[in-house]
Amino acid sequence: MENMKVAYKGHIDNQRQGRLKIFFGYAAGVGKTYAMLEAAHQAQKKGINIVVGYIERHTRPDTLALLEGLEQLPYKEIDYKGIKLKEFDLDAALKRHPQIVLVDELAHSNAAGCRHAKRYQDVEELLRAGIDVYTTVNVQHLESLNDLVASITQVAVSERIPDSVFDSADQVELVDIEPDDLIARLLSGKVYRKNQASHALNHFFTRDNLAALREIALRRTADRLSRNAKKSGNETVAKAGEHILICLSSSPSNAKVIRTAARMAEAFHSGFTALFVETPEIKELKGDGLKRLRDNLRLAEQLGAQIATVYGDDPAVQIAEYAKVSGITKIVIGRTNHSSTIFLRSKTLADKLTKLAGDIDIYIIPDAQPLYKKKFNLLRKEEPKFRWIDLLKAVLITLSATAINFGFYTAGLREANIITLYILGVLLIAIWTHGHLYGALASVLSVILFNFLFTVPRFTLEATDPDYPITCLIMLVASIISSSLATRVKKQARQSAQKAYYMELLMNSSQKMQQGRDEQEIIALAAEQIRALLDRPILYSLALKGKELKFQVCPQSEANKLIGAMTAEEIGVADWVVKNNKHAGATTNTLSHAQNLYLSVRGNQEVMGVIGIPSKYYPPLDVFEKNLLISLLNECGLILERRRLRAEKQAVEMETQRERLRSNLLRAISHDLRTPLTSISGNAGVLMEKSILLDESKKQEIYNSIYDDSMWLVNLTENLLSITRIENGAIHLQMNAELIDDVFREALSHVDRKASEHEISVELADDLLMAKMDVRLIVQVIINIVNNAIKYTPQGSHICLSAQKDKKMVCIRIADDGPGISDEAKLHLFDMFYTADIGKADSRRGLGLGLSLCKSIIDAHGGEISVSDNHPQGAVFSFTLPLEEVNCDHV
Amino acid sequence: MYKPKILVIEDDPAITNLIRTTLDTQDYQYHTAKNGSGALLDAVSYNADVIILDLGLPDMDGVEIIQKVRGWSNVPIIVVSARSEDQDKVEALDAGADDYLTKPFSIDELLARLRVALRRSRTDEASSQVQTSVYRNGDLTIDFAAGCAYMNEKEIHLTPIEYKLLCVLAKNTGKVLTHNYILKEVWGNTSASDTPSLRVFMATLRKKIEKNPSVPQYIQTHIGVGYRMIRR
Repeated sequence: MENMKVAYKGHIDNQRQGRLKIFFGYAAGVGKTYAMLEAAHQAQKKGINIVVGYIERHTRPDTLALLEGLEQLPYKEIDYKGIKLKEFDLDAALKRHPQIVLVDELAHSNAAGCRHAKRYQDVEELLRAGIDVYTTVNVQHLESLNDLVASITQVAVSERIPDSVFDSADQVELVDIEPDDLIARLLSGKVYRKNQASHALNHFFTRDNLAALREIALRRTADRLSRNAKKSGNETVAKAGEHILICLSSSPSNAKVIRTAARMAEAFHSGFTALFVETPEIKELKGDGLKRLRDNLRLAEQLGAQIATVYGDDPAVQIAEYAKVSGITKIVIGRTNHSSTIFLRSKTLADKLTKLAGDIDIYIIPDAQPLYKKKFNLLRKEEPKFRWIDLLKAVLITLSATAINFGFYTAGLREANIITLYILGVLLIAIWTHGHLYGALASVLSVILFNFLFTVPRFTLEATDPDYPITCLIMLVASIISSSLATRVKKQARQSAQKAYYMELLMNSSQKMQQGRDEQEIIALAAEQIRALLDRPILYSLALKGKELKFQVCPQSEANKLIGAMTAEEIGVADWVVKNNKHAGATTNTLSHAQNLYLSVRGNQEVMGVIGIPSKYYPPLDVFEKNLLISLLNECGLILERRRLRAEKQAVEMETQRERLRSNLLRAISHDLRTPLTSISGNAGVLMEKSILLDESKKQEIYNSIYDDSMWLVNLTENLLSITRIENGAIHLQMNAELIDDVFREALSHVDRKASEHEISVELADDLLMAKMDVRLIVQVIINIVNNAIKYTPQGSHICLSAQKDKKMVCIRIADDGPGISDEAKLHLFDMFYTADIGKADSRRGLGLGLSLCKSIIDAHGGEISVSDNHPQGAVFSFTLPLEEVNCDHV
Repeated sequence: MYKPKILVIEDDPAITNLIRTTLDTQDYQYHTAKNGSGALLDAVSYNADVIILDLGLPDMDGVEIIQKVRGWSNVPIIVVSARSEDQDKVEALDAGADDYLTKPFSIDELLARLRVALRRSRTDEASSQVQTSVYRNGDLTIDFAAGCAYMNEKEIHLTPIEYKLLCVLAKNTGKVLTHNYILKEVWGNTSASDTPSLRVFMATLRKKIEKNPSVPQYIQTHIGVGYRMIRR
């Protein structure tokens, strides 16, 4: 299994789907394999990379001769109970990855130990991997034709493929030969060895059989063609609105009903629904019955039925109801009696349906199955287990009723009261015990006691009054009916409670998952819900492109045990699930040796994650748990997908915004850099060439100008550097506790040279006030604000820096008493590239980076920056930083 | 008169030229090296009084040069780096550099740092000859034997930690000490969570020895890096 450890790459939908070509025959020996090999040779001549994956061993010699010149994959040897079985090596084929692989006998069942139970699943995987496949199949192996062929040939075939595989094949080549020729071929020993041949001739290869088979094969091929033609054209919604309904059950004949209905749906080109009625009896189904039910469900799915589930007591009513509301036109049922309530020995399902279903056609399929071993334990209801406690309850209640009745009797009350009390007792018993048994028992007991104790002659079971037998009989019937009704009411209550619970669970889950903060949390929530539903620990992992699965466990306490059991092989199964978007592992047909059942969490386009359900030490899932599980996972998948798509969209939007910002910045910079650079280079040029002509004061002026301009550039560079640090996405803030006092001093030592023309003061109530910050960036913020204040206020203005504690934050204020800022400007002050258009003639530059940068820096610190008016005039910039409280006692 | 010898290790011609011009005006002797390997040879042979080292050399990490030089010499090293490389500066200081200059720097700043470094190399020589138990720096006096500190001959009342802090700074006068270094020397550990305490103690210490704490005379703050005791 080493190939399975390959981390999953990409998703299936990104790849080209391989094409399937089927060589279709009506019996063994018609020459399918021969035709396939010939086709392979032709393809090879065209230069197509073709490989023989598997050819049956018992293939005829002249066919085997055709193998020459074709590359063959080695077989996979599997040890099965001491016998070496040769199987198709799927992993080798995937690894070799030719353009076309030849795989004989599509309907073959793989030996235990292969990845899939069936070979057609191997083929599906090849197709998903983008490899074309040539394969062969005989008509009797098609699922829907199975009964039909069996009834003709009297030979049942256990290896079958779903019709969908056949119908979805890209090409079907019918390999046909006259039955007479086939028989001749058989006689000459080309098909079977001599002794086998005579057996085969007597049983299977009769002329009649072959002719019939041939007809079926030809018709099936034709059907397929007409259907494909229809598909490629405008598909009309189920012609004339025909819709066929069948009812799923655990009955052995149900499979036949399903197949027949599928063929009918085919013939009518109609819709096809398989209805599952969940009755209390089915909930109690165990063993063989349950397995058959599951098989039938799977079969219906394979044959293209939509599965629907309803809840109720009486299948007939439910089927009829469903049929009416869903526009069903035809109902197909088997002739098995499903329903059996305790009281009314019911009519057959067919009878009931005929009454209930009104004008819907009903087709009844006989359940005669001569070819299969009949299993006559038809829906044998599991007797509820006998419980002593329930018996005790029944006896106690009956006895207490008797005791009270003695009271009634001595008080001279009438018999009617006594009878009513007994019936009440039976009712209570029916409610408080499990199953019909105790209620019925109590009814009988009550009648006997009544007769024995309260009828004349007393203390005998005889009755002299002719009324009494009638009274007893009515009492018995009344109490049995009430007991049966009470039991049923109880059951229904339980059922609806369960249904309500499921619905609630689904709704809650959906709501909870919506609230998940990130994908990991969403899938964790889903796992939590599933754990609650199935009452067992759940493994879960997100599937991220190009990353290996990383399983986590819900609840955490079970993590060690479960993660420890995740062998490379288990992970391989999970990988396979993600890669192929199919369920696999324990209790499925694929990789069933795994310990856990793995289910993919599907979005619309890709597999979002995988859930692992431990199955080894836990009871198998019932149909409803499974249904619910699937809807939960689908919901989860959709939520995950939405979330992922949204995140991707956001990332793209942010990227474009950043890109726009960057280009704006670049344009602004290159424009604004020109001015100081022109000044510096020009001034330096003057000094170099005209130095002699300039007097000392003039030179001094030029020096100053060069210095000022370069300092301006230095400041710009600092701001740009800070911007790149913030812009680089993951901001690496070096948060440290800093004394506000130190920060102010550092900032003021870097402000503009013109600062000396202003009066700058610092007011700090607490000189030990500290805040958490990236000090370089905050110093930059203060420099920018103070420089702005210097730039936009007249000489001699006051600028005051102050800071104070404000709950868990430190609020820093930089106030000036200049002309102030207009309300309109306040709105845009922190926008990038905003510059005040007021002001001095020489306020020639300023990218308008300063304040927007300040805002991004403060935002990154989790603080807020704002501007307001100072009183009586001027502006106040204030921003907050997280407070650092220091406790010096412990140091 | 003795002309101090300065080794300049810098690969950028423009900056080298600027430093050269500056040194010329001050009558210092100097030697320039363009890369790390050459610089190490020069450091051995030139016997400089101060080394000016650019951290961003083409062939070698500046910190490595400091470590190698510190292997055999205590010569003051001034590191030159761009401001965005705070962490590099701290690393260089922890490796044994004395001081740092941030690009762009002014000529005045460069000369001031040079003077501090030269003073340190001279007092180092002096103090290595006479092992004093009393430290004097301007008006500040520390009597290590008595465990007392005086300002203007008046005793300053210090808590044990403040005293320890003062001693660490005094013993490294002229040198920029990183937060980590001080934490290790005073508290014996360097967990970053203690930096706030260091800030507080430094502020209280400063209040006790500085006349005007907002214009410090003795203890200089190097924001984001550390502290330094200035030689008065």
